Amino acid sequence: MALNHEKVEALAPDQSSLDAARKLLKPSSWPAVASNGAGLIWGECQGSGSTPYRVVVSEIDLGYKCTCPSRKFPCKHSLALMWLRADGKLAFATDPVPSWVSEWLSRRRGPSGIPSPTEDTGSKASIQAAVAAVSETKPDPKAEARAAAARERNRQEREASILAGLDDLDLWISDQLDRGLAGFAGHSAEACRLIAKRLVDAKASGLATRLESLPARIFSLPEASRPNAVIRELGQIHLLAEAYRRQSESDEILPSGLKASVRQTIGWSLTREALLSDPEALRVSSTWRVIATLSEVQPDRLRRIETWLWREGGGEGPHAGLLIDFLPVATGAASSGFSIGDRVKAELVFYPGAVPLRAQIAQSFSGAAFSAEALELPKHNLQEAYRKYEEAMLHEPWLDTWVLSARNARLRRHGEQLFLCDRDENPTSLALSLKPAQTSFASPLLGLEKLDALGLWDGYSLTLCWAQTEWGRWVSA
Amino acid sequence: MGERVNAKALQARAIPALLAGAARQPLNLSGDLAALANTAPAIAALHTLSLTAQALRFERPLPPPSFHTEPEIYDDRPILPEASRRILIRLLKEKKTSDDLDLALAWGFARSRLRPHPFDLPRIDSFVRTYAEHLGLTAQHWTAQQADAAAAPKNYFDAEALDDISWSNAPLAQRVRFLGSRRKEDPTSARALLEATWAQETADTRVCLLAALESGLTSGDQPFLEAILKDRAPRVRSMAQRFLSRITGSGMENPALKACLERIQLTTTGLIKKRGKLALELPATLRETEVNAWIRNCFSEVSLDELARSLNLTESAMVDAAEKDKNLLVALAWMATAGRRLELLKRIAAGQLNDAWEQLALCGNPDLGMMPAADRLRWAEILLAPYGSNPPASYAAWRWLHRALEGPVPEMLIEPIVRSSRWLDDLLNEAKAGPEWMELIAAVCPASQRVRLRDRFKDLDPQLTLTALPLLDILDSLEKAGHHE
Repeated sequence: MALNHEKVEALAPDQSSLDAARKLLKPSSWPAVASNGAGLIWGECQGSGSTPYRVVVSEIDLGYKCTCPSRKFPCKHSLALMWLRADGKLAFATDPVPSWVSEWLSRRRGPSGIPSPTEDTGSKASIQAAVAAVSETKPDPKAEARAAAARERNRQEREASILAGLDDLDLWISDQLDRGLAGFAGHSAEACRLIAKRLVDAKASGLATRLESLPARIFSLPEASRPNAVIRELGQIHLLAEAYRRQSESDEILPSGLKASVRQTIGWSLTREALLSDPEALRVSSTWRVIATLSEVQPDRLRRIETWLWREGGGEGPHAGLLIDFLPVATGAASSGFSIGDRVKAELVFYPGAVPLRAQIAQSFSGAAFSAEALELPKHNLQEAYRKYEEAMLHEPWLDTWVLSARNARLRRHGEQLFLCDRDENPTSLALSLKPAQTSFASPLLGLEKLDALGLWDGYSLTLCWAQTEWGRWVSA
Repeated sequence: MGERVNAKALQARAIPALLAGAARQPLNLSGDLAALANTAPAIAALHTLSLTAQALRFERPLPPPSFHTEPEIYDDRPILPEASRRILIRLLKEKKTSDDLDLALAWGFARSRLRPHPFDLPRIDSFVRTYAEHLGLTAQHWTAQQADAAAAPKNYFDAEALDDISWSNAPLAQRVRFLGSRRKEDPTSARALLEATWAQETADTRVCLLAALESGLTSGDQPFLEAILKDRAPRVRSMAQRFLSRITGSGMENPALKACLERIQLTTTGLIKKRGKLALELPATLRETEVNAWIRNCFSEVSLDELARSLNLTESAMVDAAEKDKNLLVALAWMATAGRRLELLKRIAAGQLNDAWEQLALCGNPDLGMMPAADRLRWAEILLAPYGSNPPASYAAWRWLHRALEGPVPEMLIEPIVRSSRWLDDLLNEAKAGPEWMELIAAVCPASQRVRLRDRFKDLDPQLTLTALPLLDILDSLEKAGHHE
């Protein structure tokens, strides 16, 4: 059953879906499209998220699946893929079926309950109307000037609002210092909630999120560690506030990368479009491997999905990249578009910062494909890896999470707690404790004399993501 | 210049004050911190907080005072092939209607002497904990660790590697097998091993280990058995009594035999040639659905030869005399199975009890214990033969057979299914069989017939074979990669 425009129209839930799909017909939006030559087509679509969405369509029964969080079925990505196929202008390579498509096939409960294209669905969506909907508006210089002035006014108002919020933050921290930080954890939930609300009102949303999640971070630590952790967290927050106030200082005092990092951390967001169009933004083309995907619900009811990429082959610049997507919890989407082990050739563009880590995919040169190959990790042990973390902290004092790689390490246990250590038996050697939630999954590694590891260190504990061992690869998911 | 303050000194000065609060303990702003003293106290405190925070951030985490020494696990079983790992995990995570799939996999691992990949143990934790004894030493260590890290044994045992010293520390199932095997080779030495540890064993363990002495009973066992007639556990006492009743000259009666004889009537028929006729009288209050279970309970502790001797008949004559009484034939078939009397079982199944398979399935778990795999297959073939090419569509009977054999069934049972679609069609259309049936058939299918079964399954609705087909794949993978017993 070959796809054609009539079928695509019949499947579309409404005209706006087709209009949205039309915007995705550019080949550059699809770093990979393929077919198995037997009625199955699939592709990866670079949408507004940091990771591409994976779409698969069965031409036989018009079943489809997309990893985007849209609640429309079929979504614009599915429609766009079908549209591209129907157009016949974009070549679909004939490839073996990738594992993520096989998994969808194995889970299918037969043809999806979608209306047959011959049925009158009443949607009355029209491809012709979608193509004709591109409106050409002539630029109006006066309107643009007014809009620019309004944007500048808003920016100044926001700067002032944030500074006022930071003053209130100073007062709040001072109150905690007067009371003494020993007992802070006990009343942190309510205290942090109040100041976070104030900071949201002050439009410092990044700082607000940091404060609102502070109690959870403190209570995730052993009780004995909490008082010092409170000092660290509150001290860091004050440092951020001070750095923000000093943005106008020279680059010698506050380098530009650090200024950019402060602004983003406080809450100024840089849109994907703005980042991609910034000629100064750091761009790195390389082969990247997905080493971890993490998902957590933030206090603001957004799900934060992190995809950590390791740069294969080394070279100048960042050794890792972090893609972040924020999705409303209500959409139900909970996973990255990539799977651990996927390899993708892409150009990443990094958000400005003193230690660039967060990035967007500017351009994919290949679709993501799972690779079982081992990673070639730098030839340093855990001690040396930690030294690099300390160097990074010198450049960015509020560095959150850092990718550590270590060769010739091993996992050891003290009580219920697991530690990543160097293989030497020196009792004073560095030992990084793993997150307690990983104890069960990571404990099979205890039987190994040696492993090469990749993990995320947040200053308190390590999330072990990847280990290369004599038994093969271990991953955290 | 004044006093320099390094990170350690800063922490020592600032942390107590920050924790106690400015009201209780003012900050000591001297040395390099003197510049802060010229600012407002609140600002000084905030800056000191930030400086201290950074100092803390650069503190390297301290290692714990010691690390646990992990036990060395010498698990020489090869690991499941890489290509099968994902299938295994997906299969074990699927919602299942019965445990036949898990059992088939566990026994498959045992037969092929492979083990799951160590990294997958957390992902299939429930399966590993339930079937660890079949999955190798690493799986046993994992299970023990999850149960209680403090109580985890220091050593783990491959059943093949047990000896007279280590046997008493192994898991119970391995101990029973070891003792039963030793009993066949050297009955006296087996009894001696048990006597040495008897006093430390729990009641349940004593029952299981004592059962391993059932074969090869001689007068040499009499003193030990007489000694345990006073055991605290009634099951131990009863078993000891039963064993003693089989030893000539012990003077002990088997109370179970007496109870059976009270319910069996022997009469004589025939005018010219007198023939014995046996009938079993069931309790009046027994419901029809309870009959087979009652038969099992009544006759489990009685052997064929002692029953025949008591009736003054040969065993064959006893079977012939019971030909008109189906319930008694079931009892004799049950005893023939327990006593490994396959030739008698064949006489019963081929004779008047053609549905011996289904009848024994209603009795309950036959517990073939130490019976070698080849003998189990022979036993199964005897039960299956009367059905020919039309095996019963009794899910319970098939499950029972799977558990009794602890592995694949004889080829003769699967042959009708792979040769023609009729049996499966009838099963699906008339019995309205679902995916649980296909899963069970895949679980019990011998290796030689999996290809044909796979072809048969491909004609079915995919929903019916969602788990059955991957199960066939994994069992094939285990077969090809493993070393077989």
